[in-house]
Amino acid sequence: MIFSTLEHILTHISFSVVSIVISTHLITLLVNEILGFHDLSKNGMIISFFCITGLLITRWILSGHLPFSDLYESFIFLSWGFSIFHIVFCFKKHKNDLSAIIAPSVIFTQGFATLGVLTEIHQSAILVPALQSHWLMMHVSMMIFGYAALLCGSLLSVGILVITFGEVIQILGKRNNLYFLIESFSFVEIQYMNRNERNNVFQKTFFSSSRNYYRSQFIQQLDRWSYRIISLGFLFLTIGILSGAVWANEAWGSYWNWDPKETWAFITWTIFAIYLHTRKNTKFESVNSSIAASPGFLIIWICYLGINLLGIGLHSYGSFTSN
Amino acid sequence: MKTLSPLNSSNPCLLKTHFLKVPIFNPIFKFKPLPHNTHHARIAKVPSFTINSKLKSSQDINNKGKKSVSQKIVLSETSPPPLAVDKDDINGGSGNESVPVSSKKKGGVSGLAKKLSKKVLQILSNLSLAIGEMFTIAALMALGTVIEQGEAPDFYFKNYPEDHPVLGFFTWRWVLTLGFDHMFTSPVFIGMLALLGASLMACTYTTQIPLVKVSRRWAFLHSAETIRKQEFSDTLTRASIEDVGTLLMGAGYEVFLKGPCLYAFQGLAGRLAPIGVHISLLLIMVGGTLSAAGSFKGSVTVPQGLNFVVGDVLGPTGFLSTPTEAFNTEIHVNRFYMDYFESGEVSQFHTDLSLLDMDGKEVMRKTISVNDPLRYGGITIYQTDWSISALQILKDNEGPYNLAMAPLQINGDKKLFGTFLPVGDINSPDVKGISMLARDLQSIVLYDKEGKFAGVRRPNSKLPINIDGSEIVILDAIGSSGLDLKTDPGVPTVYAGFGALMLTTCISYLSHSQIWAIQDGTSVIIGGKTNRAKMEFPEEMNRLLDKVPEIVESSSSQQVDTITSG
Repeated sequence: MIFSTLEHILTHISFSVVSIVISTHLITLLVNEILGFHDLSKNGMIISFFCITGLLITRWILSGHLPFSDLYESFIFLSWGFSIFHIVFCFKKHKNDLSAIIAPSVIFTQGFATLGVLTEIHQSAILVPALQSHWLMMHVSMMIFGYAALLCGSLLSVGILVITFGEVIQILGKRNNLYFLIESFSFVEIQYMNRNERNNVFQKTFFSSSRNYYRSQFIQQLDRWSYRIISLGFLFLTIGILSGAVWANEAWGSYWNWDPKETWAFITWTIFAIYLHTRKNTKFESVNSSIAASPGFLIIWICYLGINLLGIGLHSYGSFTSN
Repeated sequence: MKTLSPLNSSNPCLLKTHFLKVPIFNPIFKFKPLPHNTHHARIAKVPSFTINSKLKSSQDINNKGKKSVSQKIVLSETSPPPLAVDKDDINGGSGNESVPVSSKKKGGVSGLAKKLSKKVLQILSNLSLAIGEMFTIAALMALGTVIEQGEAPDFYFKNYPEDHPVLGFFTWRWVLTLGFDHMFTSPVFIGMLALLGASLMACTYTTQIPLVKVSRRWAFLHSAETIRKQEFSDTLTRASIEDVGTLLMGAGYEVFLKGPCLYAFQGLAGRLAPIGVHISLLLIMVGGTLSAAGSFKGSVTVPQGLNFVVGDVLGPTGFLSTPTEAFNTEIHVNRFYMDYFESGEVSQFHTDLSLLDMDGKEVMRKTISVNDPLRYGGITIYQTDWSISALQILKDNEGPYNLAMAPLQINGDKKLFGTFLPVGDINSPDVKGISMLARDLQSIVLYDKEGKFAGVRRPNSKLPINIDGSEIVILDAIGSSGLDLKTDPGVPTVYAGFGALMLTTCISYLSHSQIWAIQDGTSVIIGGKTNRAKMEFPEEMNRLLDKVPEIVESSSSQQVDTITSG
């Protein structure tokens, strides 16, 4: 009894803290930067991280098995994954650039899990025989960490696309117009020079405004962030898929059944492999690879949620319909 | 063939080696490896700009092609020194061409075949083709989940009719001719997978393996201009290059110092690991093919107490399947039982199996459960399902009678079985009787001949129940075990591929950083680049360079002042 009320309290605390963090971000966006808020948002995310951790641990103790058995628990785990990534990158970089993307993700996933359709499944359920295996821990945790990282990365790519959207239209649409040609040259040239002559940028540009410079710097930074985090997510996804295959071999006798969930996980893997390979060709690498990674966002949601909605295949215990 | 001289002679050392008759060992350098611009490593991935040329030295003609030296001149449009010359001492094949000198003398068919294979190799290792293939495979897989698989043609006639086709053009003709109803074994899909495999092999051979040779050679940059043009570059006034080298070694770099030039790298594994990734993918494909073509599968539901022979149950899946001696084993189900949670739901089901060989001798005995299979002689037996086969009852102390149970409703692990004991005249048209329903082996629910609930009995309690004048004692609920049997020769290969893939993917997350430095008078010019951790690299470099001591010279002797320079 105590544990369930504790669970309840922790859910509410983390939810409200994250919503406060997001509101402060919105305020700083609309109003000018208020100094104290930076620390507030960082501490807020840390508090919510601890709350979600506590939530997961209480569910674990309550039910006697790792909190992976159904969709609600895996959603909570997903929001925990998001907050972990935020903490790690926050401490490494001492900057809060990513929290604009991560904080809403945390709150949306948790909100959906808590308030959404899954209200009946809050009570900890038992593990069906097929799930009683040590592979459960590795497979599900790796997959969800992978999803969290890849979702962040693909959102960053969408961000890059949105920012460069104007540039791309100009470059593609009005090639004959000299003004836009020079503008596009300056854009490309700035990219080139950023890489090679950091110190001499201002001496060599003629049409670049400082707005262009900061924008391309920002795009470059976003691009590198998304590359790094998608690589990490790809790693987790690979390990998750392979451990799932080994587990399937131990439990059902065959490591790959072209089950819808397996197939969509493989599709996700393929899309992000395409992303990694488009980066090899270094001309326009940020734009091309962002185009490759943006559908990844949708595909991950189809893989994670869409298949469960349909309730078919071997993964049906994660679905809404089966209880 | 003539060699093209580089447009940018930023590297004076390279010029000299061009025109030497024996270009392999340059007498200027003490080190054995050849000098070359390491930009080649990055440039190698833009094969569209590769110009292949061959340099024949006088030895070649004498040796009749045993030793041929070829140069690969690669242009790139991204970084300032656009040309890199890579000299490889090839004994056999490497890089994008492997045409030994002798073939020109033989000519004819073998030369043509080699040229064709070279062309094919070049096409297959194109990156855009590979990306296109991956995309097509992903699209086909998505289609395979949307279209119902494995249904009768009637289903497709109904759902994809010709009079109002899906999306305006997609009718059942598309589905059935292209094999989309069995997408994952259809020729289109398998063909794409095979093409991807061929691309993987071609890419590994042409691009990745030369990368190994290239990355392992350390190359010094000798001009300050080139160093300044790196991604990260800095100049330290009043520093010595040896201090920089020591600091880098302390930070985990491998440092090579020669005269005024320095080269350091770290994380080489991160550059070579993608090769391992591709090779393990190939391994998985091979294993998968082996599994698909050479395994046996079968499933059987065996009531407790009965036997079956392995060979009767297993059926081949492909043309490579060959049965083994172990197929003659007879399997006896000793006991099937289930564990339950306190709430009454099924927690686990177990089967106690004995394996008997042809002489009837027991060779193995094991209790299996879900996630815990039995392995014997290459055959693996999995516990996948269960059902109730019969109820053993006593009616009015007569019996025991075995009443077969039939499944009434199956919903995953929630099943309902029922049986019927007729009362009165069996042959009359509307015979009535006692119904018994069971969800699991724990308890049986009994209904009388009007369909009214009569009672619940547990099989091991042996308590009688009186229904419609008959006394029923339920002796036992006999379950039957659903077993899946399988032999799969490809599993070791596939597992090896999985393990290798996991490991190499982890390693390829590492970042390969390279640093060059030149001592120019009293100042040191440092430049570096990295392939993955592009954000952390400048910060790490700055932190490292902050620690380089500043040399403050006094008039008579050099004194190293440990004031850190910023």
